[in-house]
Amino acid sequence: MTRAMMLTFKRLMVLSALLLSSGFASASQLDVDLSKPDVRLDVSFEGSELLLFGAKQTDGDIIVVVRGPEKDTSMRLKERIMGVWVNTDEVIFEKAPTYYALAATKPVEFILPKAVLEHEKIGTEHLGLKAIAAPDGADEATIQNFRAGLIRNMVRRALYSSKNSPVDLVGKQLFRTNLWFPANVHVGHYAVDTYLVQDGKIQIHNTTNLQVHKVGLEAEIFSFAHDHALIYGLLAILIAVVAGWSANAVFKKRG
Amino acid sequence: MQIYLPIAEVSVNIFLILGMGGGIGFLSGLFGVGGGFLMTPLLIFIGIPPAVAVGTEANQIVASSISGVLAHFKRGNVDVKMGIMLLIGGVIGSTFGVWLFTFLKTLGQIDLVIKLSYVIFLGIIGSLMFIESLNAMRRAKKAAPPKHKGHNFLHALPFKVRFRRSKLYISAILPIGVGVVVGILSAIMGVGGGFVMVPAMIYLLGMPTAVVVGTSLFQIIFVTANVTVLQAVNNYAVDVVLALLLLIGGVIGAQFGARAGAKLKGEQLRGLLALMVLGVCVKIALDLTLTPVDLYALGTTGGH
Repeated sequence: MTRAMMLTFKRLMVLSALLLSSGFASASQLDVDLSKPDVRLDVSFEGSELLLFGAKQTDGDIIVVVRGPEKDTSMRLKERIMGVWVNTDEVIFEKAPTYYALAATKPVEFILPKAVLEHEKIGTEHLGLKAIAAPDGADEATIQNFRAGLIRNMVRRALYSSKNSPVDLVGKQLFRTNLWFPANVHVGHYAVDTYLVQDGKIQIHNTTNLQVHKVGLEAEIFSFAHDHALIYGLLAILIAVVAGWSANAVFKKRG
Repeated sequence: MQIYLPIAEVSVNIFLILGMGGGIGFLSGLFGVGGGFLMTPLLIFIGIPPAVAVGTEANQIVASSISGVLAHFKRGNVDVKMGIMLLIGGVIGSTFGVWLFTFLKTLGQIDLVIKLSYVIFLGIIGSLMFIESLNAMRRAKKAAPPKHKGHNFLHALPFKVRFRRSKLYISAILPIGVGVVVGILSAIMGVGGGFVMVPAMIYLLGMPTAVVVGTSLFQIIFVTANVTVLQAVNNYAVDVVLALLLLIGGVIGAQFGARAGAKLKGEQLRGLLALMVLGVCVKIALDLTLTPVDLYALGTTGGH
């Protein structure tokens, strides 16, 4: 962790030195980098914090949006029937992101008009999740309740951020924000969008990619379980047989 | 100390898992039940995805059952012939059960059915066992002679087979029938089924308590091995790292359990098991009836 932070610090220093020395002419208007190019799920993974940092050449606000891989997501409503809570209506939302984080220099509704937030899907309420399956006769208000339920559930799992976390400005040009990836994060391609906004208009939009993937033993077990499922299952039984047998043998000697 | 599980995709505390394995393994050896009816809900409770909890738990029960059955073999407490009859029924039942599981899943009601079956079966079996063991303890105190088992319609069934170890001469339809019912339940509830089979063997088949535990474990080994492979192939839901942690604790616990079981009286053993079964039943019943945190819950569509 300290090594990663040192590395981050060095990269920040190099970046800022580069920007300050080169001046306006050669540096681009908005530069962004991450403290690590990927999130690695290894045996000791307990969630991971990434530092996003960058430099801008002009005044303006910064908005950072991170989106995880998308998948169709089912939401169910529970109703009490004869004293027991039963799943009743189901709504399936198309391509809901499995991860959504938002950070900005101030609340996004003070930075951009609603129409732009909706167009760019900035903020969980502007994700525009489309229902592809719903009970007969369900109106938009009903669907909206399911949509809000989905967001609540994801926020509870720390996979969505309910409101934007801060982007800190360092001086006039440098900015930084921390991104948290919890232990239940999904593997796949993540998109990091950084916006430079002036007077309610997006001036620059920069997209960086981030990989969340399993590494080492975790990756090997996972791919073996998927590629050779039958052998994996039989091996699991073999391990169980050996463990059961050897435990008995050990105890027999003692007993 | 935390460890990230490759298939379950969650981070858990190693010592918590080892402790759970040990505790449930002890009960498994003591009562001859696989312990799945306790472990599966516990695993789900600590955040393991339900499918992975069921698949991995089946794998762990294989190990604890083998460890337990060997101890019972040594004392001659396994009726292999009876076990094979139960197993034939178990294969038929679990095949049908898997089909039923898939059907209920498409209806979106599998969670409810699983929980309701837990409440119903644990409730009935727990109450019956508890009352019976209380009566037995009272009788033992009075030192009254045990009641002679009367003949009923079950003894009139055809295909009679002699089970030497169990000292029984009963129809083969009976153990196969018990196996079928338990097989269906184990596929739906994700358990070995010992907690249903043990009382069925005692009260329905009339087997001696000493033989019941070993024979139950013997049959459970094969049923759970089958479930492990099916879960690994169909759902990729067996986490070997989690299973390994559980079974390290489990096999050791089962050994101690089997030894402790030899020192306790049959009716005390049944009374204790009955209390455990009732406890889990009440817990699940509360889950079903108390107002949930959020009325809207993520469904199962597109799970990885």
